[in-house]
Amino acid sequence: MLMTLSYLLLAGLTNGSVYGLIALSLSVIYSASRVINFAQGEFVMLGAMSAVLFLVTLALPWPVALVAVIVVSVVVALGLDHGIYRPLVRRKAEPLTIMIGTLAGAIVIYGSAFLIWGPEPRFVPPVLSLAPIRLGFLISNAQQLSLIVLFFGFLALTWFILYRTRFGLSVRATGVDPKVALLMGIRSERIVQFTFIYSAAMSGIAGMMIGPLLGAHVSMGILITVKGFMAAILGGLGSPFAAAAGGLAIGMLEALMAGYGTSLYAEPAIFVLILMVLIVRPYGLLGDYEAERR
Amino acid sequence: MLRFENVTAGYNSSTALEGVSLKVPEGKIVSIVGANGAGKSTAINTISRLVSIYSGKLYLDDRDITRMKPAEVVELGVVQVPEGRQLFAPLTVEENLKLGFHRLARLPDAADRYQERLAYVLDLFPVMKERFSQRAGTMSGGEQQMVAVSRALMAEPRLLMLDEPSLGLAPMVVDRIFDILARLREDGLTILLVEQHADAALELADYGYVLAVGRVRAEGPGADLRNDPALHHSYLGNVGAHA
Repeated sequence: MLMTLSYLLLAGLTNGSVYGLIALSLSVIYSASRVINFAQGEFVMLGAMSAVLFLVTLALPWPVALVAVIVVSVVVALGLDHGIYRPLVRRKAEPLTIMIGTLAGAIVIYGSAFLIWGPEPRFVPPVLSLAPIRLGFLISNAQQLSLIVLFFGFLALTWFILYRTRFGLSVRATGVDPKVALLMGIRSERIVQFTFIYSAAMSGIAGMMIGPLLGAHVSMGILITVKGFMAAILGGLGSPFAAAAGGLAIGMLEALMAGYGTSLYAEPAIFVLILMVLIVRPYGLLGDYEAERR
Repeated sequence: MLRFENVTAGYNSSTALEGVSLKVPEGKIVSIVGANGAGKSTAINTISRLVSIYSGKLYLDDRDITRMKPAEVVELGVVQVPEGRQLFAPLTVEENLKLGFHRLARLPDAADRYQERLAYVLDLFPVMKERFSQRAGTMSGGEQQMVAVSRALMAEPRLLMLDEPSLGLAPMVVDRIFDILARLREDGLTILLVEQHADAALELADYGYVLAVGRVRAEGPGADLRNDPALHHSYLGNVGAHA
């Protein structure tokens, strides 16, 4: 009984780490721009698919492939920033319009990936060993554990940047009011560009690491965006840490529903949970005053 | 120090300032007064480069800043206290002050400069010492205005611009803010003050401009403008009744 629960919690923690990373990525961009980047899941797909290109096709060693995956993610993020975000902001578009713009960006990224890699699922070779590792009575592997470490590592790094650096303070100020941030001499466009790049790199690395566990295909991005968005809404979109916690909650819930009931009911149950949470707490479970823009 | 030369400016292709020429000399307080919609705030936002300039030139110390970006103008030491305070409400008072210091934060002696500026603003507003960790949005209007002025002073401005600092504040608080502005002038700071409460603004000012419908209708020493009943009647309506 306890063993089953522990396995389910480990599985939940792994899935939750992926959703948490996407929720964290979405929330970091939202914190600075008040825009949901609907193309965020595509960076996970790009990470996984380009890992196939670099690790299998080009047979690069994994540290080089990792750098190459980050470069691909950053270049596409810059394209999204310069091709969609900035032109729309300069035309004084509302956040909703920009969000639709990111959705268009997601379709373009998906379409391009489809042309390059086609519709078939691809095998992503593991970077780390899949050999069993015993943790007490639990059995895991290095690849799975690395996802959890990656999640908590990025969580800590994001906290450090946002709350312990002058740059992070500028990110938070830009999120509260970009016009007043300009009056402080903060270059808001550069701040938002950083959040796009940082989030894309985070998602690209996540894609490279989950590929071996979940498989990779060009249409995986949209599902991941939806899960990450649900996680961010559940936790609280305005705070990256609340959003990440929402990811863990959804991962756990999914695993527990699959283990003790049926995975068929997992997603409807999550939607009902989100609905109930939002009725009681409109800013999400852990979202607070900082989520509120004047 | 600052000079408008025949500036026509506005938002989204509409004109809010038309052929405006004015000067802000170093170490003086210049007030721009006028009724609602006269173009006063547009004048300040034009200097901050938030408003498009259609024609004319804007100079700071004979340097053409007409095409500069907002952050570049701040780097030159032109800092604004916006209308309605516009603090970063969810952030603490200390974080707001740190953001005000952004202009100087990359200097090699930034840590020492920060402490100097902090000591200076705390000398002006000692009450803030106890409010450092309070979220700015939870303070009263008067306290928020003090934080807004302090935030701008943290940048060690060469030109401080204030847009309607008396808006929504009790007369006693307004008097306190205006006393502080007089003290800042004594310390050598150049101030551009935009105010709807013409009497108080012109009383404080070395020189004043009266704006109406985007044009300069009158200018002169603050006291002369304040004591001109015809001017009050024609352009300022009853808004000069404060103080």
